[in-house]
Amino acid sequence: MTKKFLAMAAAALLASSGLVMAHTIAKKGMKADLVLMPKFLGILVFDQANQGAQEAHRELQNPGKLEFLGPTPENSVAGQIEILTTATTQGQDGIMISNNAGDQIAPAAKAARSKGMTVVTWDSPIPSAEGEQLFIAQVDFNETGTVMADMALNIIGAGGGEFAVLSASPDAANQNAWIAAMKEALKNPKYSAIKLVDVVYGDDQSEKSYNQALALVDKYPNLQLIMAPTTVGIAAAAKAMQDEGLCDKVKTSGLGLPAEMVSYTMNGCAPEFALWSFVDLGYLSYYATYLIATGQIEGIAGETFKAGRMGYYTIEKDPTRAEGLRVLMGPFTVYDQSNVEAASK
Amino acid sequence: MNVWKHLRSWEGFLGLVLLLTIAINAFNSDAFLSIDNQINLFSLSIEKVIIALIMAFIIINAEIDLSVASMMGLSACALGWLVDSGVGMPMALALCLIIGMAGGLFNGFWITFMKLPSLVVTLAMLIGFRGLARVLVEDRSIRVFPKWFEDLGQHPILGPFPLAVLIFFLLLLVAVGVLRFTGFGRYVYVIGINQDMARYSGIHVTRVKLILFTASGIISALAGILFAARLGSVRGDMGLGFELDIITMVLLGGVSIFGGSGSIFGVILSILIVLYLRNGMSLSNITGHLQTGVIGMLLIFSAMVPNLKSYWESLQARSS
Repeated sequence: MTKKFLAMAAAALLASSGLVMAHTIAKKGMKADLVLMPKFLGILVFDQANQGAQEAHRELQNPGKLEFLGPTPENSVAGQIEILTTATTQGQDGIMISNNAGDQIAPAAKAARSKGMTVVTWDSPIPSAEGEQLFIAQVDFNETGTVMADMALNIIGAGGGEFAVLSASPDAANQNAWIAAMKEALKNPKYSAIKLVDVVYGDDQSEKSYNQALALVDKYPNLQLIMAPTTVGIAAAAKAMQDEGLCDKVKTSGLGLPAEMVSYTMNGCAPEFALWSFVDLGYLSYYATYLIATGQIEGIAGETFKAGRMGYYTIEKDPTRAEGLRVLMGPFTVYDQSNVEAASK
Repeated sequence: MNVWKHLRSWEGFLGLVLLLTIAINAFNSDAFLSIDNQINLFSLSIEKVIIALIMAFIIINAEIDLSVASMMGLSACALGWLVDSGVGMPMALALCLIIGMAGGLFNGFWITFMKLPSLVVTLAMLIGFRGLARVLVEDRSIRVFPKWFEDLGQHPILGPFPLAVLIFFLLLLVAVGVLRFTGFGRYVYVIGINQDMARYSGIHVTRVKLILFTASGIISALAGILFAARLGSVRGDMGLGFELDIITMVLLGGVSIFGGSGSIFGVILSILIVLYLRNGMSLSNITGHLQTGVIGMLLIFSAMVPNLKSYWESLQARSS
């Protein structure tokens, strides 16, 4: 078995020229009890991530359990800390966190690590990286900024105009990084015609996001676009514009789910939006966590592993944070009337 | 016979529910009874539990303080903001407690001298203190505390006990002592039963209420400091909505919302029930809305039982 494994590793090494470290191919059937924790329950994208993780769980024939545990939206921060602490008590082997608690989860993550648990984040990292071994990044955060700026320019047009951002919670590390990246991208003279006038927060709750979208329209009479880098926010904003008959004046864009956005894209309320596959994100996160928890990789920079159907990934230093390691998934898909219907099925 | 009478009291009923919860939890999970888990489940809610003690006093006094969780958030954010602005740790801690005292006095002033209902005054401050907290830290999280401060919040300092749990035990002794064995404790009950009667009997109603609301402000500020130490960083939404959990614990403990009755013992039993129930469900991988729902059912059930009992008794009285 070991020989075969080594042979495979050697073959992989030969196949990829120029890399020093061996490619790890996951050994199936090793036991690891794992927990997948979303920011909170009841959001479609997180259910999709769970679907991907469950797929990987079956594929790797892990005799352990994979639990999908999350707090309620009202109790997200305290709830995430509580679930992480309880998972440590239960003696789980690893946890995958889409962090909504900023650095406040770091003490609980460090406590989990000191008990030998594997702590991997996905979707949204621990900003200081304390207590976290690895972050599975959906897309390059800088690329997100450019993609959003491009969509804004496309929709508003060369004539120029004002737009505003409707984000999730003020402390969501991923959204904040994307907005910062977009602001950076906007400095390019290419985007000089479009102007970002405000950033508001809907806390990833539909009703609050809906009201915030309407408030933006009241506050900025010349607003042409609401850019929401969250699937909850974009759907709520598009619905608000549609309900109020404002779609001709104020468009919606950002990061959205084809299934939730298809009607708004077809009727012109949200002509363009982007996203990556959350199923794949859950799948990749599971592979990385399984490999670390079963000791097949250490989770250090430079290691390369094979994540089943998705192919090879390498752990690298996270360029978007001061500390921390990441695995970059990528890429983006931009949806419009030409492809949204097919993707929504 | 005495045992039977005790069992039929509210505390007796809570005790039975508690024993049942412990038995089911212990049966379900080996980890439940471990020291680590017991300390953890307390630590995760210790700030609410500490505030529940002073909340019991205030509700027995026939008042309410809805601003406690916002004061917690304000004190934590003020601490982060002060340290971030270069104020030394001891000074910042003292200032936070003073903010708590001032906030409590402010509440007390409107309630006692201006005769406004505490529900209205503290509801306003629920919004006011939270607003101030958000003004101080805006939409960011501040992470500036020295290592010793975070260690105090995150590691045990005596045996397996972290500082916050020790402070809770200390405050518990004080609360039981004051409420049961001092004149002040008796005033709290008497005012809760009938404020006018208490005033005509020569009790300083104003002074008692001022002391209670000021103490509530200080203890909430202290809880905010402990919260900041436990999490290691602060942000504007800290403790958002905690006031409901705190009031829930107190009411489930048999403290009457109309004032005048209740005991710290009952409150402790209800705290244990709520914490054990949550922990037990978490250990069995029940999280999210289902967990919230089960605790909600328990509350409805516990509110129904005393009413059903009196309804039953009135039926019997009518038929005889």
